[in-house]
Amino acid sequence: MNRQRFILHLNVADFAVAVERVADSTLRRRPVIVAPLQAARAAVYDMSDEAYHAGVRKGMLLSQAVRCCRSARVVPPRFDLYRRAMTAFAGEAGSYSPALEYGTEDGHLFLDITGTHRLFGAAPDVGWRLRRQMRSKFAIDPIWSLAANKLVAKVGSRLVKPRGEYIVADGEEQRFLAPLALHLLPGLSDGERQRLAEFNIVRVGQLASLSRTQLYGVFGRRAERLFEISRGIDDGVVTTGSAREPVIEKEHIFADDTADRRIIGGVIGCLAVQLGLHLRSIRMAARRVVLSLSYSDGGRVVRQTTVRQGVSDDGSLQRLALQAMQRGLTRRIRIRSCRLACDRLHRISPQLLLFSEIAGGTSGRDGGQRGEKLQAALDAVRCRFGSEAIRTGNQATLH
Amino acid sequence: MLLRAAEKTIGCTVMTGTSGYSYLEWVDSGFYPPGTRSAAMLGLYGRSFSIVELNYTWYQMARSDALARMVATAPADMLFAAKLTRTVTHEREDDWREQVVRYRQGIAGLKQRLVAILVQLPPDFERTVANRRFLAELLDGLHPLPVAVEFRHASWAADSVFAELERRRVTLVSVDEPDLPGLFPALDVVTNPALFYVRFHGRNRQGWRSGNMQKKFDYDYSRAELLQWCDNELAGLAARAERGIIFFNNHVRAQAPRNALLLEDLLKQAKHGPGA
Repeated sequence: MNRQRFILHLNVADFAVAVERVADSTLRRRPVIVAPLQAARAAVYDMSDEAYHAGVRKGMLLSQAVRCCRSARVVPPRFDLYRRAMTAFAGEAGSYSPALEYGTEDGHLFLDITGTHRLFGAAPDVGWRLRRQMRSKFAIDPIWSLAANKLVAKVGSRLVKPRGEYIVADGEEQRFLAPLALHLLPGLSDGERQRLAEFNIVRVGQLASLSRTQLYGVFGRRAERLFEISRGIDDGVVTTGSAREPVIEKEHIFADDTADRRIIGGVIGCLAVQLGLHLRSIRMAARRVVLSLSYSDGGRVVRQTTVRQGVSDDGSLQRLALQAMQRGLTRRIRIRSCRLACDRLHRISPQLLLFSEIAGGTSGRDGGQRGEKLQAALDAVRCRFGSEAIRTGNQATLH
Repeated sequence: MLLRAAEKTIGCTVMTGTSGYSYLEWVDSGFYPPGTRSAAMLGLYGRSFSIVELNYTWYQMARSDALARMVATAPADMLFAAKLTRTVTHEREDDWREQVVRYRQGIAGLKQRLVAILVQLPPDFERTVANRRFLAELLDGLHPLPVAVEFRHASWAADSVFAELERRRVTLVSVDEPDLPGLFPALDVVTNPALFYVRFHGRNRQGWRSGNMQKKFDYDYSRAELLQWCDNELAGLAARAERGIIFFNNHVRAQAPRNALLLEDLLKQAKHGPGA
């Protein structure tokens, strides 16, 4: 028999607004819209509940949003502040369990409190206490929900948004989900929902009534997942910080928003070099490069490129980053910031290649010892005089 | 010793149970069989007791669909007392009147199985004019449902309070807890002849104000303590009410169900003699 799990989901509704209200108490009693201020076609990043009820939506043009809610105060997004707030929440929640999973700046936090009942008592009491702590310490009132897995806990939070709590008893998952609309079910894409709507399937229970075979005929390999989520089955573990894959990342915020691909490419190239220097210093190689671009209207796009064999040399990292950029830069909107991350890391093997001049490996397109020597010389200069001391022609300066 | 209690309880139906039933540590402590999951607990609980105090309705608003599903898993003769939601009592919100209406709708699924709604008031809920008005309005909002009020501040131990509860036929909850200053005293006052309601919280003086439930409610009543309680308190309560419900809240390490079964055993002995 599987061990009964207790997963708490804490969600701070309108997280950016909640954090801004803590930082500035004058925002508490009025509608708030978080959106970039200078951009010509800025889009809403987040809004308070009052603004939502006035018709403001995420992604809406700021000019339109302000017309919907004229009394709203507009503040620019401060992602760094949101990230720090999330880290502080996680620290508080971490006192109940080390099994903790949270986003960087989205206000969502999962806590696996299975097996802590002898220390902290019944699971609902932990949820209630944690919420009370968040309120007293950060003046933020999170939703909390308790269920046997992450999927059902998240649905519980969605049901009571923007405040409240929901406890789904063990074994109740399928009956709890059955009457709910499909848009409340995490893990379904828009396309899948549309496809289901074509079959007049709009409730989770209707989806759950379909067999694996029936689902396979329409959704192919996704059938198994749809079969499980419609029944509230989710074996996903709460991925703790230490268990999470290590990631190294760098971010650059442009002094002036720009749509110049040459400038953006130069900056991304520079970030790739900095990450490469870091990777080589810890003798690691990355199999994936992830590029996040933030547009001046508040929109965001994330693109990634992966390779089978890990890389750590500047040339390869730059090439992967620029490939991601080519795929991500699809809008004619200026870019505000870009963040480059390397993950799926592995140790650089100390084993020398038998035919290094043929294999190429981690030493760049030129391959062989010459490339490695050149890289080592560049690293020596950068370590001594700074990462900007010596650049290739396609790199921009970051300062 | 039990003679006095036995004489007085004749004619009064006394039921014992626990505050809450869904505790995983009761599996570790042997009350539930190894491997029991929450979903199976109410059915197993029903083999030992025929009444339970629902405390999860304190953590979240009662929902008729969830309660209906729970009732479906309960034995047919199981009765319920349900705690009022904390957003009406402990963390009162501006819309508490609407929440009372929602609560009433939520527990409607319990129908005739509902013995009492437990209105537990926080320790800092003093007897002030504003609080008296709030309580009066709350009791109006819950009328005509069966209601029991548990005060935790000593200022409410006043004859005028008991008289008003009596007028409204609202039960005053008798508590057994550590003898600490400021706490509502243990009284055998009956304000509703239809029902008396007792809560055993344990007498852990050290853990009471620790802020940790596992310490606060960690107490194991001895046979002698329960016998003494029967003689001193139960006799007075049972003599003036038709029905009585007694809940043990010292849930840590399954002490609550063990103590409740022990008390039930003592009551049987009192009625039918030691050999019963």
